[in-house]
This record gives sequence, structure tokens and C-alpha cells, in this order.
Amino acid sequence: MQLTKAVASFSPRKRGEGALAPARKKLKVPYLFIFLCMSPWIFGIIIFTAYPMVASFYQSFTKFNLIDSPEWVGLENFHRMFFEDSDFWLALRNTVWISAISIPLRIAFAMFTAWVLTKPKRGSSIYRTIFFLPSMVPTVAASMVFTYIFNPAYGPINRGLEAIGIKDPPFWFMDPKWSKWGLILLGLWGIGDTMIIYLAGLLDVPKSLYEAASLEGATQWQSFRYVTLPMMTPVIFFSFVTGVIGSFQYFTQAYVASGQVNDYSHAMYFYATHIYFTAFRAYEMGYASALAWVLLVITLVCTLIILKTQKRWVHYPNGSLFK
Amino acid sequence: MQKKRLFASFAVMALVAGSLVAASGVATAATRTVIVWAPYTGGNLDMWNAAIKRVEAANPGLSITSVGNIDMAKSLAAINAGNGPDISVSNGNGNVGWFCGSGAWQKLNVLMAGKNGLDVKKTFNASANASAISNNVRCALPLGSEVFGFYSNKDLLAKAGFKNPPKTTTELLEYSKKLTTFNTDGSIKVAGFLPWAGYYGFDMDSMWLGQMFGAKWYGGDQKAAFASDPRWAKAFNWQKSFIANVYGGGDFDKGSKLLIKFVAAKGGEWGTEHDFMTGRVAMKWDANWMGPMFCTGDDWAMADKCTAKYEFTISGFPVSPELVATNYGSGVVGQAQMGISKGSKNVKDAWTVMKALATDTKLASAWDSANGAPSSLLSKDARPAKYPDWYQPIYDIVANPASAYHVVKNTGEHQEEALLQNLMASWQAGDTPNLKSALSDLATKVNQIVARNS
Repeated sequence: MQLTKAVASFSPRKRGEGALAPARKKLKVPYLFIFLCMSPWIFGIIIFTAYPMVASFYQSFTKFNLIDSPEWVGLENFHRMFFEDSDFWLALRNTVWISAISIPLRIAFAMFTAWVLTKPKRGSSIYRTIFFLPSMVPTVAASMVFTYIFNPAYGPINRGLEAIGIKDPPFWFMDPKWSKWGLILLGLWGIGDTMIIYLAGLLDVPKSLYEAASLEGATQWQSFRYVTLPMMTPVIFFSFVTGVIGSFQYFTQAYVASGQVNDYSHAMYFYATHIYFTAFRAYEMGYASALAWVLLVITLVCTLIILKTQKRWVHYPNGSLFK
Repeated sequence: MQKKRLFASFAVMALVAGSLVAASGVATAATRTVIVWAPYTGGNLDMWNAAIKRVEAANPGLSITSVGNIDMAKSLAAINAGNGPDISVSNGNGNVGWFCGSGAWQKLNVLMAGKNGLDVKKTFNASANASAISNNVRCALPLGSEVFGFYSNKDLLAKAGFKNPPKTTTELLEYSKKLTTFNTDGSIKVAGFLPWAGYYGFDMDSMWLGQMFGAKWYGGDQKAAFASDPRWAKAFNWQKSFIANVYGGGDFDKGSKLLIKFVAAKGGEWGTEHDFMTGRVAMKWDANWMGPMFCTGDDWAMADKCTAKYEFTISGFPVSPELVATNYGSGVVGQAQMGISKGSKNVKDAWTVMKALATDTKLASAWDSANGAPSSLLSKDARPAKYPDWYQPIYDIVANPASAYHVVKNTGEHQEEALLQNLMASWQAGDTPNLKSALSDLATKVNQIVARNS
């Protein structure tokens, strides 16, 4: 427990501490100039973010088919969503499923991979590059490759499984019971971007803490449990929040994979897919806008819950960013 | 002197006024512009633009602006924003319900009956006329057709002792049993025929299955007929029993699993690796434009002589035995369609242009020759001057009165087709335990979509 205390009391020296920082000369820049410099961004956010958001909020209360002017229908879209649209619930269930399974797995796998990559004494940058490379493959290409790899007839995965004596390997993307697991594996394969953050976090854990742990006779597991894990919680927290936001918008991999096979049972039909099909196949822009706003609310609530609970489990050496 | 000046002034004024009038006349002629948007690119666009030039030449003072490579989503957005073209073209008639139903395309009834009208019954074939109508509203004129018929590998059929393609679904089962062979590990080596959603097929397998049994998509009450027309249940039950008997030795689950693996190993759709070209499948339903590819392996244009490994023949779909007399020889026939946009400022000229393009036999024959896209026109001039013998059945299918595309309604981008295809796929995988309730749910869903879009 002394270790935990050591971790809790650990605080790296702040920038400029202990030395006299040179006095900064305040630059006097006219506001108009600042505004002019910022204007491209301001213009962009108004035109491409604020206006579409306001428009889609209005449209979520309308029936709008792209041809006729939007017709005000009040809360009808939301009533339909919750009480009449079975695809809404199916898409939401699938999305919650993939979030609940993939986020913890991605966190664990990214951390494990990063930890493994801290071990090599020589050629570590080569290993890091190799593990990072898959995340640079475009999502569409990676998804197509995975539909090949998991092909039940000639895919190498099933050939391998058959070679080791598994008689009836799964049909993966062609079987509603297995298709989501195929997507999970695809997600884990492209873990490189998250892994890099964990790697940076792991390399940032002060060696002095491990030395202290070692002096106190801590095992490798105890070092991990009481030093590494607490020091990594800000990274875990970050990837958890971004993971939740990302998984609620899960679309490309599922869209590509389900396009390659018959996803008749809609096992790979996620919330974003439902929005896409509603907007661009059924051309129900009003209802699609309502779906998008509900997605925003769901994501916001989940994020707020995580932010609220982070005080209990996230350890910031310099204090919380969200006091 | 003053008189002379006055005269000169009048003369100058008259000259200026005359020039202005003349100029305005020219300007008036030049402003008779029709804008046409089409999805065509490359050689197809060249042929299309050549036809447009012919229309311009035949209508002095009319300028036509042709823009290619425009899909329907772009057209829709532009029509909605009020700056759409006068005429837009849709590849396939799945969008007709949507464009007619939403009012994106204008009704043509008055224009057709007018002085510069068009007798569509005497001009286009029956299926083309039927498919340009949605909810009793005619808002489109057809262009080239796409024809879906039945392909048989003549060599494999002959080897199995069959001289002609199967005419009935019973014969189809019998042929398939004889043509299907298995590998030593029990997997399928050569399949006779696959009544299977997702085996090539462009997501239209369920439509073709329905056509074989004469199943109707909508009833007389304009409601979805998937539950009320017993031929749908008959078609799906036939599919299940076919899979069990041909591939599973009476066991549906076994047959279904073998087919999933067989389909997963199918060759590429475009080129000589296609299962039909390699002889992996003996019979299949497919589009007319696959014919040129099956013939040479790498081209869409009609070749005089087929160079492929196997000889093939095209015929109408096998049909349920009781329909042989009325329906055999038919297939599914759809068309590219074009309509006049809502908000067009020049409807009269747009109609002239659209009518001319739809009835241009030169354009129709050129397209057919290059792509295998038979015309919707009844005139024989619309056929290529020269075409191979194996292509004749395509014209026979187009001319067959039982050939049709299903009735299209305003379901967005043909939602009912996707829903039916999903049901077929779920059923063939053994994941739909109760067909009756599944068909009933499908009908309810389609009716809800149609009602919402009305």
C-alpha cells in the first residue's frame, strides 16, 4: 500500500519550477487582426457545423423528403423511433453490444501490445512501426481484406482452423452469430493508433516508482497493479471516452463487410447505418435528423457519466483536468 | 436640310431599333435551352451526346446542355434546391416510384395527349410502358432495357442428356439434381442451379424467384401482396425444398450449409473467373448484359463469335408448371427512365427533347450493340443491324407480354426489394422459422413505408 501512496504523492516538477522563468513581453495585437486570422475557422464552423446542426435540429421535427419543403410534424419522428421502429432498437442493441465488447477489449489489447513493445532492448522502433502500420491501412481496404481472410471457403483463418482439427469452423461474416466477432477482430487488428498513446503513457511512468516497488519486493503483477495501472488511468480514461464516442458512430467497417456478404439478419446493422439508410436510401431526412439528435444525446449522457465517475478511478499526478 | 437631318435621325433610330429587335430575336432563340443530366460516362455518354446533337439539328433555335456522370442523388438534391435540370435520367426503374411519387418528375399525361404527343402503346413494349407508371401516374419515358433471363450451359446440359433448358420449376429441380456433383469431402463441385439470394444476382434474386411463380408485389387494393398472394409462400417453399433435395439429400440444413460455402468460394463477377464461365454452375438467372461477357470473358460489346470455354443459351425463366402456357418465355425486364424535373422552366421544349431521345432508334441500336441494352422501342430499327444468334432470345423475352418489372411504388430507393431479398436470404439460411408471419411482417413494413411517403 505504500506503493499506492508513493504513486498518489508523486508529482513531477512543473515546467519552470525551481528556475526563474524569463518575463514574457505581452504582445499588443489588434482584435481585428486576431479576428481576421480566426475568420476561416469561424466561417467554417458556422457554415459546416453550426448551420447543419441547427438545420438538422429543426428538420428532426419535420417530414422532409428532399423534394418538398419540410413539413412540421412535432414529436412524431421521436414517437415513431421509440414505439414503431423495430430497426431503431435493433441498431441500438447492436451498437451497445459492439461498444460493450470492443471498448474493453481494445483498451486491454492496446495496453498489452504497448507493454510488450516496451520490452525489446534492440530494434524497438521497428517493432513499433510494424504494430502501428495496420492502423494506417484505410478502413475500407482493411474491411475488405478481412472479409477475404474470414471467407468460410478459402479464407486462411478457416483453413487454419480446419488444419488443426476444427471440423465446422464458423462462417464469420456470413453467419449472424459470428459476424460481430469478425468486426471485433478487425478492430483489434487496427489498434495501432491507440497503442501508440498507451506506449507513450507507459514510457512516461517514472522508473523511480518501479525501483521503489522492486526494493519493497513487489512482484511483476504487483508492479503492474499498483504502479503501472494507476499511472495509466488518464490514458485509459481518454481512450474510454473516445472509444465510446467512436463506437456509437461505428459505420464503415460494418457497411463494407455487410456489403460483401448477405447481412440479412442485420447483425451488422448499427445506429449510424440506420441513420445512413434512413437518409440516403429511404430519403427520410426529417426522421434521420431525429435519429442523429438522439444519438448525440445518448453519446453525451454516456460521456458525462464517464466524466462524473472518473474522479473515483482516474489518477492524475498533477491533479484532475476536470475539477 | 432640317428635313434631311430629321430623316437621317429617324433612319438611324429605325436601324438601331431594327438591330435591337433582330438581336432580341436571336436572344430569344438562344434562350430556348434545355438542360439534360444523365448518369452516362465514356462511350455511352458519347453516344448520348451524339443523339442530343441530332435533336438540336432537328429543332433549330433549341440549345441542349448535356451533363454526364450525374447520379440520381445529385439530381434529387438539385431539383429540391430549385436548380435541377429540365430532364434527368435514372438507370433502372427502381427510382420511378420515388421520383413520380414525390413529384420530383412531372406528370406527362397532358403532354403525351397534346399536339406534340406520343402514343406510348404503339411506341414502347408493354413492360416498358408499365414500368414508367407509378400509382397510376405516368411521369417517365423509357430508354434502354435491362433484361433478366435464364442462362444454361449447353455443353453441361448436353452431357447430362438435356437438349433444351428447363421450362418448369419441376424440370429445373430434375435438371439440377442430375447436373450437381460433389467432391469427395462432400462439398459441392458443380452446382446445377442456385435459387439463392446473394449468389451474384445484384440483389434481385427474390424478384426473379417471384417472377418464376407469377407472384404479385401489390394487390388490387394497392397494398403489398407478399402475404395475401399465396404464390410468394409457394415460391419460398419451393426454394427450401430445392435446397434440401438437390444439395442436402433431403436435409435442408445440410444443403444450406453446403451452399453457403459454395457461394463463399464463387469466382469474380466480372471476367473469366465467373462460375458460369468456369463451369462451376450449370444454370443461372442473370442480366442480358452478362451475355457478352459470358461470350468473350472481357467485353460488354456483342461479339460475332463466342470464344468462351462453354457454349451457352439464353431463355425465359422456368415457371411454375401451371404457368407454362401463359408465362413461359418471359423474364424480368426493367428500363432506364427519364423525366421532366419539377421546376423546369421550359417544359414544352423539355418534352420535345425527351420524346426525341426516347424514340431515337439510332441511339437505341448503338447502345444495344455496345452494351447489350435492348431498346424499349417496338420498332425493329432500334435493334443493331447485326447481332449474334444467341442474343435473339433477349428480344423474345422483351417482347413477351408476361415479361415485367414489379409495380414500383414510392418506397425511397426501392426499399421493398431490399426487404424481400433479406427475407429470402434469412429463409435460405434457416433463420426464419415462420414464413407466414415473416411475409406478413414484410407486407406491413412495405405498406407503412408507402403510406409514410404518400
